[in-house]
Amino acid sequence: MEQFLAAVFAGTASGSIYALVALGLVLVWRGAGVINFAQMGQAMFSTYVASTLIMNGYSYWIAFFIALAVGTALGTAIDLLVMRPLSGKRGSAILASPAMRATVPVIASLGILGILQSAAGMIWAAEERGFPAPVSTLGLSFGGEIMPFTAFDLFVIGIVLVTLIITTIFFQKTGMGLAMRASALNPEVARLSGIRTSSVRTLSWAISGAASSLAGLLVTPSANLSPNTLDLILIIGFTATVIGGLDSLPGGVIGGFILGLVISFVNVYSSPSDIFLAILALLLIVLLVRPQGILGSKEVRRV
Amino acid sequence: MFKHLQTGNALKTVIFFTIIFYLGKILDPYNQGQLSVVLMYFVGILSITFLTGLSGQISLGQGALMAVGGYTCALVVLNLGLNYWQSIIIAVLASLVAGWILGITAARLSGPYLAGTTLVIALAIPSLANRFESVFGGDVGLSVDFGNPPEWLSSAIGEIGYEQWQLFATLPFASIALYLALNLFKSRTGRSWRAVRDHEIAASLTGVNVQRIKIFTFVVASGFAGLAGALYGLRGIVGPSVYPISLSLALLTGAVLGGLRSIGGAFIGAVLVVFLPDLIEAISGSWELAPQISNYLPAMVAGILLILTVVLNPAGVAGGLHHHKSRHK
Repeated sequence: MEQFLAAVFAGTASGSIYALVALGLVLVWRGAGVINFAQMGQAMFSTYVASTLIMNGYSYWIAFFIALAVGTALGTAIDLLVMRPLSGKRGSAILASPAMRATVPVIASLGILGILQSAAGMIWAAEERGFPAPVSTLGLSFGGEIMPFTAFDLFVIGIVLVTLIITTIFFQKTGMGLAMRASALNPEVARLSGIRTSSVRTLSWAISGAASSLAGLLVTPSANLSPNTLDLILIIGFTATVIGGLDSLPGGVIGGFILGLVISFVNVYSSPSDIFLAILALLLIVLLVRPQGILGSKEVRRV
Repeated sequence: MFKHLQTGNALKTVIFFTIIFYLGKILDPYNQGQLSVVLMYFVGILSITFLTGLSGQISLGQGALMAVGGYTCALVVLNLGLNYWQSIIIAVLASLVAGWILGITAARLSGPYLAGTTLVIALAIPSLANRFESVFGGDVGLSVDFGNPPEWLSSAIGEIGYEQWQLFATLPFASIALYLALNLFKSRTGRSWRAVRDHEIAASLTGVNVQRIKIFTFVVASGFAGLAGALYGLRGIVGPSVYPISLSLALLTGAVLGGLRSIGGAFIGAVLVVFLPDLIEAISGSWELAPQISNYLPAMVAGILLILTVVLNPAGVAGGLHHHKSRHK
């Protein structure tokens, strides 16, 4: 029973981080039609900035917010410097088909990932360093009993829930959120009704950058920080969006929690080396039943 | 499929074979080894040329299909005692079957869903190798090689070095792959691929069976990938560390840099990916850079080239050449 509870809590805590990564991916996919493989590269870079600040004596929270700002700036820069010029190339033969319009930006994002990782390696010497947590990462004790979760787990779950609530309010209740939903649904019509779709795209990249930096800050205390640390988190987050449905924010979040729990249970009841077999099995089952993911909307074929 | 095998293609293949063979005789052992890696990458990139360039499907896990070829080849050599070229043929057959199974699954998926699935498949390989350690040899893998060069060859051209034999053993297979690719490119099937990529619905209205074409793409692509994987493994070891995700990404990088839509581009891409680190070291060697900078320089340059290519010249080096040529006609 204790083992079971431990698996549930650990799975929920890591699942909430995957949900955050998935949120960032879905935002950019809906807003700009790009699967951003550089996302956790951005997160890694901003976490390194935070770590350097902390090592130079700044407080955790100053470093925390500066890292979020760096993540936002990186997301914005990627859109302005790479993705916007790329989408202007629509006339060229290689980008004429929808299949290639989905493929080429993915390749560009892999290039950005390479640049961010090698830049981090050059600047921070690729030494593995730890990253502090703002609260204790030891099991909490209540009345002498050690609980199967830590204060940091609760902190992570809490902060992710707050982020999800703010995002939902933003999308449902604000004008900008409405504009973003409209542009994702139909860019052509959105533009005709006066929405500046290119600014909306940039905003998606910026918010996604902030969300992924947050994920980086929350995940690194339980892993060492190195230029490649977060690759795996990205892949799991991406799988979460595929399982949940790429164009659905709640879908990605649900996918994240499902994967967190599955991974945690495989870890506890089987061995860590089976994690990817379990993920693959889960992915295949979901996609065989629903090729568009759990909450994804089915592609309508129109001539 | 091959109604008219064009003599031009045979000629191109013979020229390719001759040039590489000649280079294999004059280069030093290190570059002979590098050239054999270029040939393997070439065949691997061809699989991306067909899958992504010609049919518009993206796979981030070509390494997984390469591993199918590599492991089959190693298991055949070790358990059935066949020689390397017989096992390569069996490895390619096994990859074709794997591609068919993957294709049936993948034909239902589009774009990012397919990319995600292939990525996870590639990541699951080390898990599989460890789960069935007695068969696949776990993290260490299985050791195989090309064996010794045959008597008739060494008596014909003199003593053959280790790296040189790797190159000469790889070359016939790369040439066959080139010949098949050249013919497929121009075939009726090649045209159907392009039709499906450019407009699925229009293609299906003109009588192309989209589903079947997509599955067939996977079969072809995985045949090339399996061949590349077998050749790659025969350099010494077939194991999880030989087919990492970074290999799949390196192939994709090469495909894009060289030009996603041409066979010449696949070769240029292979040359770029293999020789870029050497080139950078040759240039920056005299700058006395700190090791942390020189270690990451190749990855940095590759990333910058990748972005410059997709933003400025998405058709790649080969596409750029083609464009240049047609403008001056």
